[in-house]
Amino acid sequence: MTYLKPLPKIDPSNEPFWNGLRTHKFLVPRCDDCGDFNWVPYPACRSCLSEHQTWTEVSGRAVIYSYSIAYGGAGAWSAEVPYGIILGKLEERPRSLLVLASSVGIPLNSLRIGMPIKIAFEDIPSEGLTLYRWTAA
Amino acid sequence: MTYPTNKAAIVGVYTTKQARSLDRTSVSLQIEALKGALDDAGLDYKDVDGIVSFDPSPYGKPPTDPFWPVGFMFWAEQLGERPLTYTDFSLASGALAKAAAAIGSGLCNVVALVWGKSRWKLNPKDTPVPDRAPRVDDFSFELAGAHYSTWYALWAQRYMYEFGATSEDLAQVAINNRYHATLNPDSIMGPRGLLSVDDVVNSRMIADPLHLLDCALDNDGGYAIIIASAEVARNCRKKPVRILGGAEAFFTDFYISVDDPWFPEDGKAVAKVGNMAFGMAGVTRDDIDVAGLYDCFTITMLRDLEELGFCKRGEAADFVREGHTRLGGKMPCNTDGGMLSNSANAFPSGMHAIEVVRQLRGQCGLRQVPNAKIGLSLSQGYAVHGLAGAVIMAVD
Repeated sequence: MTYLKPLPKIDPSNEPFWNGLRTHKFLVPRCDDCGDFNWVPYPACRSCLSEHQTWTEVSGRAVIYSYSIAYGGAGAWSAEVPYGIILGKLEERPRSLLVLASSVGIPLNSLRIGMPIKIAFEDIPSEGLTLYRWTAA
Repeated sequence: MTYPTNKAAIVGVYTTKQARSLDRTSVSLQIEALKGALDDAGLDYKDVDGIVSFDPSPYGKPPTDPFWPVGFMFWAEQLGERPLTYTDFSLASGALAKAAAAIGSGLCNVVALVWGKSRWKLNPKDTPVPDRAPRVDDFSFELAGAHYSTWYALWAQRYMYEFGATSEDLAQVAINNRYHATLNPDSIMGPRGLLSVDDVVNSRMIADPLHLLDCALDNDGGYAIIIASAEVARNCRKKPVRILGGAEAFFTDFYISVDDPWFPEDGKAVAKVGNMAFGMAGVTRDDIDVAGLYDCFTITMLRDLEELGFCKRGEAADFVREGHTRLGGKMPCNTDGGMLSNSANAFPSGMHAIEVVRQLRGQCGLRQVPNAKIGLSLSQGYAVHGLAGAVIMAVD
């Protein structure tokens, strides 16, 4: 079946992230100078503005910071309603990383703030891409 | 340096018909609004030397290059090769504060803020299923199936969790604003009558925990605001509404992530610009007779009341429930019905400012706040508090 939901524009600045996903690793830019993790990726560290950042694998372990259940969706997402959308707080510190993704494999009526979750990898062979979602830990 | 308080005034306002859909082009609404607001002021288009426009392409031609300021170039040409010495695309309340500062420093004399929109919608259901997967920016919320409503739902869910608020609490805002809409003959939802808590919490779920009646309208319409120097304002048709102070702040990127905590005690963008505006204006929260707060969702107006310092964090629903934001209360808010029940025309921030101007002029009929002298309006957009602008205005 043709995949019709939005896919990322990939360019040299974000290619390592999407390559990491293909091997089921969730990489975030970690600052070589101050050690902070950054999400979403920016050209420089949001704590110290250093451009020296290294794509670093994170645990993928998180808790639900907030969630919603969408009863309408744009484009091809409309075929999947209702679906869960989660803002997950990764366990990495000091600065919290809040990652937005759709949920997979979690009964919608069991979604709760504070619930343990982990990153799930969704391979899309027809596009040669892997996307990230949140699932129960 | 100090803000040039009272050096500029709002002298003209105009709203076109606001409706679910209008058989007009966006630019036609903008031209009608510009002419109407200039007429309200008693000024000519040849007096305009500054433009605020949120529309990068009023003529409907997509920009060939995203860096070209085509919207401003369009207006310079449309107004007859008019030299525009001030241009800005801020949302309305922040734009008014900045235009007043520009006028006060001599950059320009008469600034027109113009908006009009028809024939496109924000609602996700208006994005059709494509033939092939669209490519979006790398960390866009669209990858997560999110859209505007879901982002505000995430915000509301977290707010309810942290402060113990309920859907019934959020509904207070919808009830408040609908009541005002019933007194506004131009409002879209006024004819539907008053709302109860049950009406709101039993309306269709859009994005849990937000119900249909927690969400703004999604309609067509236009408006314009003319702001001029105090000297020009003296000879205008209507009582000048003086700008006392205001500011605008960007805080986040476009709906891609937020920092934790989401509800810091010191607030975010709204608190920043609110504090600046009050400092410049030299007035207190208690001095505000009428306010136009951003109400794209019920949660938004609750947070505005808290971040602006009218009540404490987590207490806004009680503030609304006690009637303080209702006509007859100490600071009626969104007396036209706001985005929830009057109009939400994609960039509706000017509607809030215009309603405050009309209140200060005493033009509001059944919904008039008696003896309103000082008002505040707030604009937001581009993310959950990604941008906020506040302006405080007064009449003699």
